Amino acid sequence: MTDSHEIESRLRQAAESLLREKKVNLFIGYEKASLPFRTAPLFLTAPKEAGRLVWNPFCTANLAVYLPRLFKAPADAREAKTAPPPPKVGLVVKGCDARSVVALIQERQVPRENLVLVGIACPGIVDRRKAERALGDHAALGAGEDAKGNVRAVVDDGTEVTLHRERIVADACLECRAPTPLLHDVLIGAPVEGKQADAARRRVAEFESKPLDARWARLQETFSACIRCNACRQACPLCAGCKTCLLDQTRPRWIGAGTDISDVATYHLLRAFHLAGRCTECGACARACPMGLDVRLLSRKMSQEVEDLYGYRPGEAADATPVLSAFSLDDSQDFITEP
Amino acid sequence: MTEKKIPIASLDKFLARLAERGTVYAPGKDASGDLALMAMPLGEPVLLDYGNFTLSPKAFFLPQTQTLLCFRDGKAQEPPLPEQAAFLFGVRPCDAAALRALDKVFLDSEPPDPYYAHSRARTTVIALACTQPMPSCFCTSVGGGPGDAAGADVLAMCLEADLLMRAQTPKGEELLASVADLLAEPTPQDAQAAEERIRAAEDQIAPVWTADSAQRLRDAYDSPLWAAASQKCLGCGTCSFLCPTCHCFDITDELRNGTGRRVRTWDCCAYPLFTLHASGHNPRPTPKERWRQRLMHKFRYALENHDRFFCVGCGRCIRSCPASMDLRTVLKEIGG
Amino acid sequence: MSQTQVSSTSDAAAARAWEPTVVAFLCNWCSYAGADLAGVSRIQYPHNIRIIRVPCSGRINPAFLLRALQNGADGVLVSGCHPGDCHYISGNLAARRKFALFKELLQYAGIEPERVQFTWVSASEGGRFAAIVEKVVEQVRKLGPNKKLVKTL
Repeated sequence: MTDSHEIESRLRQAAESLLREKKVNLFIGYEKASLPFRTAPLFLTAPKEAGRLVWNPFCTANLAVYLPRLFKAPADAREAKTAPPPPKVGLVVKGCDARSVVALIQERQVPRENLVLVGIACPGIVDRRKAERALGDHAALGAGEDAKGNVRAVVDDGTEVTLHRERIVADACLECRAPTPLLHDVLIGAPVEGKQADAARRRVAEFESKPLDARWARLQETFSACIRCNACRQACPLCAGCKTCLLDQTRPRWIGAGTDISDVATYHLLRAFHLAGRCTECGACARACPMGLDVRLLSRKMSQEVEDLYGYRPGEAADATPVLSAFSLDDSQDFITEP
Repeated sequence: MTEKKIPIASLDKFLARLAERGTVYAPGKDASGDLALMAMPLGEPVLLDYGNFTLSPKAFFLPQTQTLLCFRDGKAQEPPLPEQAAFLFGVRPCDAAALRALDKVFLDSEPPDPYYAHSRARTTVIALACTQPMPSCFCTSVGGGPGDAAGADVLAMCLEADLLMRAQTPKGEELLASVADLLAEPTPQDAQAAEERIRAAEDQIAPVWTADSAQRLRDAYDSPLWAAASQKCLGCGTCSFLCPTCHCFDITDELRNGTGRRVRTWDCCAYPLFTLHASGHNPRPTPKERWRQRLMHKFRYALENHDRFFCVGCGRCIRSCPASMDLRTVLKEIGG
Repeated sequence: MSQTQVSSTSDAAAARAWEPTVVAFLCNWCSYAGADLAGVSRIQYPHNIRIIRVPCSGRINPAFLLRALQNGADGVLVSGCHPGDCHYISGNLAARRKFALFKELLQYAGIEPERVQFTWVSASEGGRFAAIVEKVVEQVRKLGPNKKLVKTL
């Protein structure tokens, strides 16, 4: 695993020269945030500001979420006349983020030729909730990475605590099969090996081992604390591609806006379905959830089914047709009812 | 103003007595392991050493989903409102102060909101002063403090082995009187110890630029900094939903064959659809306009209209924002 | 004719034995015509079915199916042309993938697989339509009323 400081330094150089040489007019990366265990997305336009970029275990956001809004097509001919040309955007991408970018390219949401992808081979990022929990009743005042890749946190009683990476790494990273960005223009850091496919499958299998009623009960339990804030949807790069979400439509209104468990379950069922074959398992949704719900409960299953039924994983080949935009005459029919 | 104390070891007895008169909510951990005000019995000892709950107590007065009207066979009826009293124990001073802000919106209005008024009337708020502020706290910069009593019926304060309790309202007086047999007289040393703890807590809270915020924000309305500051906003709604003073709502009818209900649900000004007109025009079309409006509302319009900030410095928005946005930084930048 | 027991609580309704309600989305060109043929041929099939005509099975958005269940339907049936025979050439082929995934999703979530079913019925298959409706209604009847996804108003 390449040292984070080295990656950070090369990242700053890459961003500085891209901006200076005007190969991009906007560079999106991460910078220090005001609280520990976090970074904040950074939108750079000046080459001399490249020193603000950071790379560390807290670079958790999937920055691909900002791409669709940068490449929104003009609403009409009048807007098209005065609209500026689409920007050239440089973007820091981890393995999962790169898959999201590729999935957006597959859907023609963003033009490949307007992107410069600075890929970083990622050893797994820290889930801030896990880190905060690990500190028990204490709040962290600061946190950094040590030479071994673990997190050193300064705690409110003045002591320092070491949190081992494996304990606090994000759930999505435990199942990540593509930590080294498949699509990139620059790659920083030695490639990192992905996890085996069965890491995610085990969780799906474990859920499926329950009888139907127990599964439904577990689903209701999981989502009973959902406050319908839509953070999961707003943090998702693929959801960001849709101009209007079905679930916001009012004519007709598909689901109620409240916390009735029927509406909550329908929201998550529909969102998981609409992301089938599009979700790249980055976990941004689960990390955005203010209530700490296992938002990926249903999408894990959809990713697995898409792979098993159609041999497809989104975000791997920019020229691949998205799975639900394609069909084969041999597609499985096992589910069809016969008299 | 009655001031009493109770040994912390007897807190369970105190709460059990309240439970005879209504539902008691006390600090505990929910299914996700997050801090929350949970209905007793908790099955675990009540927490006294904690930061703050994920969800603010506004949910008790302005729930995420509230039925305003029921419809049966085409006729409207008012929904039954819960009659039972509720006791919220462990509300932080920032969240208690937020109720004063919500009161301005829902009680001082003409007519007052009957659903909110009903909840306020049947609920007693026992605030617990803070001795260990979090890095995200800034109550002292918005007219509050770790030992502030605004909005509380009783303000409790942890000492070494006792809980000091000061009644703040007639409801608070009544509550302390009802459990007088459990309470003892505090000593002057107790009061002093309490003051020292509060001062120590105040010293830990870094000040945030809020002076002359109304004027400075007015001057900065067209500043290019708004666009830069709001670029990372995802429009996710977390800040508004968790904020103890945010109160925007939507109303929808859920009907099936003439039967159903009219519900009020939380809404968020950061949502792209929040100001979308039926014509298709949106006066706040990008995160810049929406983020600016959020700060303007809390730190300028609220001062101009209600003489107070619509922010209590609880820091939830800063802790929970998935894009790590921090309004303290933005206020400082915009203010110059 | 019985209604699902969502709105009415009158004694008379309670006294009647529960009958499942199955909402059927039928594609205009094949399945709806097939259902029509069953009618014209006087083939009896259970009256529990409520038919909604759509231009093509490819028109089906799973939101429709969930909406039906939320509104109190005890079961949902979706039927289109046989693959290869779609009036719009490939609508049902695109739909087939969506249906397969959606059925997996529902079952994973704990909804009984018999509640939401998919089939192909051609315009000439009046008998097949009736037989499938018979089967689906019986399966849903055995499951009992839909309690999991229904939204109580």
